[in-house]
Amino acid sequence: MNTQLYQTIVIEKSHRTLRRELPEIAQEYSVAGLTPIERMTRRFEWLCKEQEPMFLGDEKICFLRTTKNIPDVFTKEEWEEIRSKHYIHESGYPSNLTVDYGKILKNGLLALKDESDTYGCRSIDAILGLVERYRQAALAESRTVLAEGHAALADGRSALAHVLEQVPAYGARSFREALQCVRIINFALWLEGDYHNTLGRVDQYLYPFLKQDMEAGILTKEDALELVEEFFLSLNRDSDLYPGVQQGDNGQSLMLGGKTKDGSCGFNLLSELCLKASQELKLIDPKINIRVDKDTPDEIYTMCSELTKVGLGFPQYSNDDVVLPGLIEMGYAPEDAVEYTVAACWEFIIPGVGRDVANIAALSVPKVIDTCLHRDLPGCQCLEDFYKAVADEIRTGLDAICDNIKDLWFVPAPFLNLLMDTPKYQNFGIHNVGLSTAADSLTAIMEHVFDTKDVTAERLIAGVDSDFAKDPELLHMLRFETPKLGTNSDKADENLVWLLDTIADALEGKKNCLGGCYRAGTGSAMYYLWSAEEIGASPDGRRKGEPFAANYSISLFTRTDGPFSVLRSMTKPSLSRTINGGPLTLEFHDTIFKTPEAVAQVGQYVKQFVLMGGHQLQLNAVNADTLKQAQAHPEHYPQLIVRIWGWSAYFVELDRAYQDHVIARQEYSL
Amino acid sequence: MTGMIFDVKELGVHDGPGLRTTVFLKGCPLRCMWCHNPEGLTMSKQLSVRENACTHCGACRKPCTHADCRPFGRCLHICPQGLIKVVGEEVTARELADRLLRNKMFWGEKGGVTFSGGEPLLQAEFVHEVLDLLGDVHCAIETSGYADPDTFLSLVKRMSLVYMDLKLADDGLHRKYTGVSNAPILKNLEQLLASGIPCVIRTPLIPGITDTPSNLAAIKELAGGLVQELLPNNAMAGAKYELLGLKFPLSSASSPDTK
Repeated sequence: MNTQLYQTIVIEKSHRTLRRELPEIAQEYSVAGLTPIERMTRRFEWLCKEQEPMFLGDEKICFLRTTKNIPDVFTKEEWEEIRSKHYIHESGYPSNLTVDYGKILKNGLLALKDESDTYGCRSIDAILGLVERYRQAALAESRTVLAEGHAALADGRSALAHVLEQVPAYGARSFREALQCVRIINFALWLEGDYHNTLGRVDQYLYPFLKQDMEAGILTKEDALELVEEFFLSLNRDSDLYPGVQQGDNGQSLMLGGKTKDGSCGFNLLSELCLKASQELKLIDPKINIRVDKDTPDEIYTMCSELTKVGLGFPQYSNDDVVLPGLIEMGYAPEDAVEYTVAACWEFIIPGVGRDVANIAALSVPKVIDTCLHRDLPGCQCLEDFYKAVADEIRTGLDAICDNIKDLWFVPAPFLNLLMDTPKYQNFGIHNVGLSTAADSLTAIMEHVFDTKDVTAERLIAGVDSDFAKDPELLHMLRFETPKLGTNSDKADENLVWLLDTIADALEGKKNCLGGCYRAGTGSAMYYLWSAEEIGASPDGRRKGEPFAANYSISLFTRTDGPFSVLRSMTKPSLSRTINGGPLTLEFHDTIFKTPEAVAQVGQYVKQFVLMGGHQLQLNAVNADTLKQAQAHPEHYPQLIVRIWGWSAYFVELDRAYQDHVIARQEYSL
Repeated sequence: MTGMIFDVKELGVHDGPGLRTTVFLKGCPLRCMWCHNPEGLTMSKQLSVRENACTHCGACRKPCTHADCRPFGRCLHICPQGLIKVVGEEVTARELADRLLRNKMFWGEKGGVTFSGGEPLLQAEFVHEVLDLLGDVHCAIETSGYADPDTFLSLVKRMSLVYMDLKLADDGLHRKYTGVSNAPILKNLEQLLASGIPCVIRTPLIPGITDTPSNLAAIKELAGGLVQELLPNNAMAGAKYELLGLKFPLSSASSPDTK
């Protein structure tokens, strides 16, 4: 590891002091009556000019943001007008896409000029202008430091200049050039104002360069690891400037392994080096994902568990055996599906050709149950009546969400457009939030109101409405003595199966306003806190104000029988039908990983998850006591990392509600 | 027949090879002062209360009509925080075997079931019956070795792996810190050595008591070349005592005299 560079970027953060604040521009653009695409192009040109070439230590991969903010291209009034005419997703800027890095690495940016419009060409000129200034600065520094007697540093700078002469204008010729090229492209996407700019299948598009350099004897494995680590470090320089719900929610994900087009296993030396680099650096970026399947060798699971042990919440697993058929069933061509990666968190997307809006909206499933509990349950003669009411309400809720999304509009992104292919997929992903709370609530109603009949609908509703204040016995029974997901109850599990099937059925065949389909998912994003506040207590014994579980996980207070039972519950549904993504998340106490044998056993557990048909898994090594210590003494835990809902963050930088949720999660210990 | 257990743990990563389910049997003839599973000491059901989180709402003190609450004088079915639990569950061999076998798919070739405790040998007959029902599964046992020779040998013979504790080589110290003589244990160790059953000898490293150079050397000698594991002291061991309303014998107030 380049410890000096690590010290600068991660510990001292001195590079952040170089950043200047930029003035607002929207008013000026507005007065000039510029078109949206002109504004975006002009701002990109301006931002490229405003960057000051800077080098950190003896870095081999450069580029650093030296401006703080990205002034908006529209005024507040203009945004109001745009929002009144269109459906605007989040901030309105494109996000959660993976560009075709392989294409740029092969041909370079200049080659794209032939096929691009004037805005695209101007964007290329703008970023290449900045690259040229970097090159000249590197040469100038090389001369200066040589005069001061630092020959090695001088060589380093002139090597950098040499790399910048080639990339990203032309195709990369070496592993180092390829990494520098990806760094610049990724940097430029953020500078354009696009966000959650993911990295895709790095071990596929970068491996040919590594292989070629190693075969030519230019690189050893150790050199390559050092370069990968420098590349990873480069992704942590400006990331505090990237927008998200919380610090760390920046979408810099990458995908390793997985099937290749010819059906073979894509895990290669570079995949291994990426796991290793993340393990050594212990940083929140990039967020490591890996694709596995029934044929994945045990060694890979063990290697991954070594990374899990570090406590970053990496890697997140996706199961090709479930995801690929699911995507193909949804209309993705097999040759595209096989290239899938994840968006910022866990939504499955296709690099280059995929323009899906994978996180367009969310359905609160417990809210559906809450509505039916109050409106329908008292009139239901039998359980089937209640299921029917819930199914209707799910359909109504999803219809309302879908009908609301019309005239979707994104701020034009000429630079991003250059790097994407003609869109083949414009599907919309819908999160389904609070699935375990909803399934457990259904089970409670089934069990007590209809099966044993020991609780009347009126008593249940009164209990929920009063937050069980006057009926502690009911609370205890619902919360601690009623079957739930993860407690070896077929009844509870079947309710999850039914819910997911019902959701998938409700979205099947629906067309979105861009002609694509809707993809049901099992993720929650931040709605596990937000949606929980919209309802009071729930029939599963969840009290008012308590959050839902994040993503596809069992409820926080379930007295589970353990990790086996959790897997059995959560792999029962046909998850290839709810393939927008959203992982089962499990927190293992960090002491589980004490011995190499135990690490391998955790790997075997993941393998079993894959064999049982799980779609996505997120394993975290945590220690609630440490987290509580960090809440009390944040100054002692600046580098403590936790996984939130689809990304990892520095614990002490999070809002309290997110911290508390991690502490409250089920923790499996020895 | 029925047995008394206090936990079934899925994914017991330190209880043998592969993915395992560990059954904790309740009741133990030893009273090791450092015991970190105090709920395994007696064979009877016990009340476990997380008093430190209790808000003293009084709900559990009000009279109730549940039959299972009667022995404890507190209502088990009302605590809004779920702080009150009964430790100890009477199960038939069939029930336990079925519960274990539900997760058979996780065990694979290497993994399986581990019997721990408490002291499983105290319910040897029950364990035999569970083994009959489990069929061809890799089974391991974690035992103090304190049992009569026939009980010991007939059960460990059916195990694919035996973890046996050797805590203190000196009989006087063994009596002092565990409450019983180590003579039956050493006799069973001899049987184990002679049997050729795969086994691991475990010694908990209790500061000033078992971790002395002389004790460790003596245990090494007794182990006669068998695989040995030294288990680090569990600093949190005292926490569970409070839940059961018991005192941790090794709390800082009663630190051991080593000489």
